Amino acid sequence: MQQEKSEIFFDPSREPIHPAMPRHALDDLFSAAYEELRRLASAIRRTDSNATVSATTLVNEAWIKLSHSPDFAYQSKLHFKRIAGRAMRQLLIEAARRKHANKRGGDFAFVTFDEAIQHGPARAGELLAIDAALDKLTELSPRQAMVVECRFFAGMDATQIAQVLDISEATVQRDWRAAKAWLGSALRQAD
Amino acid sequence: MDTATWEKIQTLFHQALDLPELERDAFLRHACTDDATMLAELHAMLAADAEGTFLDNDLARVAAGVIEEPSATQHISRTFGPYTTVHLLGEGGMAVVYLAQRKDLGGHVAIKVLRDAWLSPSRRERFLSEQRTLAQLNYPSIAHLYDADTLSDGTPWFAMEYVQGISLTAWCAKHNCSITRRLQLFRTVCDAVQYAHQQAVIHRDLKPSNIYVKDDGSIRLLDFGIAKHLETLETPASQTVTSLRMLTPAYASPEQIRGEAVSVQADVYSLGIILFELLTSSLPYDLSNLTPGESATLLLDHDTPKPSALVARNRMADKPALVASRREWADLDVLCLAALHKDQQRRYRTVDALIRDIDHYLSSEPLDVRRDSLWYRASTFVRRNRRAVAFATGVLVFIAALITWSTLRIARARDAALAEAARTARVQSFLVNLFDGGNEDTGPPGDLRVVQLVDRGAVEANALSTAPRTQAELFETLGTVEDHLGKYDKADQLLHSSLALRTKLNGPDSPEAAEALLDISKLRMDQARFDEAEQLARQALAIDNKQLPPSHPARAKAISVLGMVLEDQGKYSEAIPILQQAVALQSAPGGVETDLSASLTELANCQFYSGHLDIANSLNQRVLAIDRRLYGDRNPQLADDLINLGAVQYEWGHFTEAEKYDRQALDIERSFYGNDHPETASAMTLLARALNAESRPADAVTLLKSALSIEEKAYGLVHPRVASTLNDLGHAAQRTGNFDEARADFQRMADIYRTVYNGKHYYIGVALGNLASAEAAQKQYASAERHYREALAMYADTLPANHKYIGTTHGKLGRLLLQQDRYKEAAQESVLAYQNLKAQPTPPTDALQEIRIDLQQEYTALHQPQELAAILH
Repeated sequence: MQQEKSEIFFDPSREPIHPAMPRHALDDLFSAAYEELRRLASAIRRTDSNATVSATTLVNEAWIKLSHSPDFAYQSKLHFKRIAGRAMRQLLIEAARRKHANKRGGDFAFVTFDEAIQHGPARAGELLAIDAALDKLTELSPRQAMVVECRFFAGMDATQIAQVLDISEATVQRDWRAAKAWLGSALRQAD
Repeated sequence: MDTATWEKIQTLFHQALDLPELERDAFLRHACTDDATMLAELHAMLAADAEGTFLDNDLARVAAGVIEEPSATQHISRTFGPYTTVHLLGEGGMAVVYLAQRKDLGGHVAIKVLRDAWLSPSRRERFLSEQRTLAQLNYPSIAHLYDADTLSDGTPWFAMEYVQGISLTAWCAKHNCSITRRLQLFRTVCDAVQYAHQQAVIHRDLKPSNIYVKDDGSIRLLDFGIAKHLETLETPASQTVTSLRMLTPAYASPEQIRGEAVSVQADVYSLGIILFELLTSSLPYDLSNLTPGESATLLLDHDTPKPSALVARNRMADKPALVASRREWADLDVLCLAALHKDQQRRYRTVDALIRDIDHYLSSEPLDVRRDSLWYRASTFVRRNRRAVAFATGVLVFIAALITWSTLRIARARDAALAEAARTARVQSFLVNLFDGGNEDTGPPGDLRVVQLVDRGAVEANALSTAPRTQAELFETLGTVEDHLGKYDKADQLLHSSLALRTKLNGPDSPEAAEALLDISKLRMDQARFDEAEQLARQALAIDNKQLPPSHPARAKAISVLGMVLEDQGKYSEAIPILQQAVALQSAPGGVETDLSASLTELANCQFYSGHLDIANSLNQRVLAIDRRLYGDRNPQLADDLINLGAVQYEWGHFTEAEKYDRQALDIERSFYGNDHPETASAMTLLARALNAESRPADAVTLLKSALSIEEKAYGLVHPRVASTLNDLGHAAQRTGNFDEARADFQRMADIYRTVYNGKHYYIGVALGNLASAEAAQKQYASAERHYREALAMYADTLPANHKYIGTTHGKLGRLLLQQDRYKEAAQESVLAYQNLKAQPTPPTDALQEIRIDLQQEYTALHQPQELAAILH
């Protein structure tokens, strides 16, 4: 329960992506990212499973909304995407954690998450497992964990990731394939 | 697992992938002979790679799995304090709103609940801020806050007035409201917003869907969700980012879209869009099918169409459109566009100002914004555009040249009265044309005086201390205008402020300081303080000579000003070579052609005064050709050139030629300014002089009476311009033999000048002298003599002792005395006249001949032929 009362925000001690970025800017990034996620999630439910809204569109939308802000002015679009990827990850994990808690009989929290579980794919547990595995991966190879965040949570392509992490595209491809396989196997073990 | 192991696993993983599938197992078994864990790990990874993993999913699909939204019926019959929910009313990114009923009392309320409070602290803060705002606002047309609390899980909620009604735009459409009704409703909305502003609250999200009209026709303003307290506006940009994300682009002000600090004017803008929608049933911009980026570009960079244009289009397409007269639409356009102007400087400063103009419109009074628009334009023009200011100053210099020409026309007719009037009209029309852009619909009202404009400008300029460069330019422009208006004290103050600022900014020896010195020099010329004017011009020129390349336009201009100073002192022979130098520089490539036209005009002036009429004539022809190229055939500028050409013909005695030029000039003025414009009247008076000279005084009188009536309407009954025309009219009347009328005209002329100049100006002398001449013609000797002597006393006070007016008046007085056989006194006057006129640079031969005849009679009657001979030789 303690976990649920705590409010989510970007934790700079965990890994400062951009130390100069003010707290309120990150706060806004979170809210913008979240509202986009919510919008997309509901669009997908309405139009059913064939909807093709990608993380790329999602992050691009957030970028358009926030790019005029002076706080983001010094950020390149790619760096912004990387930060957005981090935000997406934390938001989804937090949402999944709540959903998971509810499913397992947690306190009823009004206007958060409750009954609608059966409507969507039960992804909450998988997301939480991915998150835990990603944390482990960060200890083994921080760069690879970042590649995953950029690729999966921010929807960046290999060229963009290579540019933002300053590595070759081939390295990105190798990092991604190995990390994905390892995370996938970790997920199976969690089941 | 450690990093080294992970590296090894990855290496083996990639090596295995490079092998054909069937060989992988053998390869891995061989590589991991003594590490079963690693082998298992690699097998699992290869399997995951082959089958695909969770990470191959689309993120949005994953999001759909974990992020829920409440369905419409989900939270029915929930309890919030004393309220029970009935059904969902609406939901947004921030909150969900339910209709709820109070259990004990039964009344309906709207309950607003924060959604996802856990997400970030700023969401909770924003929600509580709206709650506080509503609690603070207690106004009939703003929805009331009833109750607020928190659920057991910490989720905040509040209960507010439930408004049953429809949006403002829908209501107007449904009831088919007239423009007046729409404006009345809109005004109520404005009142509510103004009340909020007084409570230091900016709404920031005004749009029709936030404004409800209840069945009884009363208005309710809703949703202060992103409202902002004024005192916190200076704090971090996050606030504007928040609003940026939350706001509705179609109603958001440009400053909101740009993410800049937001003031009450943001609400004024949104109100402007709402008004636009109420008038036209559509938005000024169609944002459907545009990405946010494209919308922003459209909103920021495109001009707003006039509401009337949209309405006209609708009517053409047979869609319903509101009805109002053309004049009313013109006002509505101005009002609406002033409310949603992209430039905050030109938008209504407050909702209150907008309300005032709505009231003006509803009671058919002139709009304030029309009165202010000239000033907005003037101030923003000067404030914004350094180059344009330099241009404006250039134009003013040019005007100074034109005014000198006006002086020339007048000097010819021995009446400098027109000068002041010409100044006023020129400067006024200059400002109007320059700042008005020729748009009649948004033009300033006729009663706006340049004087007021400039006074307001000075106040505004004084407040601009943070932008000293602009301030200096503003002081300069305003000072020059004050100078042209004849407000020399104010001009002096402003121009010295400009000089002091420029000296501080650029140093005392800078070209900028030199420019300010030149302005003061021109002021001194107008004040007839010629020695100082000359000294200042020379000082400025010395700086420019040192600091600027020889071909620099500013240097040529300084030379030209020095030429003018010398010209004004009557030092024509000194002025001519200097002006020729200016003309040479300005004729060279890179010279400024408008400056050249001005210098040539001055040069022609000097040649004219020196009696070199043929040179003056060819210079004037050159000016005419240049101006024709610069301004086209139908510009008032051309009219002035034609008048100057006419002046030469007049001097030559070619009165029919002079008439031809004057008629062309009148034709241009008439087509440019219209029949009832003072400029047209001015051209009429000049043509009348030519007609008078052609011995057609009756035609002249007719023309002058028309001119007089135009001027009386334009300037009022007591004005130098009116006096000037009265002078001409008096002369023409006298030539038709109507001495009574002549006397009345000259008497009125004297009275006007006495009032205007506080009893002390040589123009009063001119009027008295002319009055005396009319009296003399009717043999009213006593009053004629009295008026001549009063004229001479006035001249003694106001003119140099050798001025030709003094000589002329002595001569006339002498003849008056001679007619009464008062030979001794007469001879005294005639001698003074003779000595004075003979010493003039261009002695008037006709007048001298007359005086010789008088002298002969007088000395013959006095039996003093030797003395006569001594005087004449």
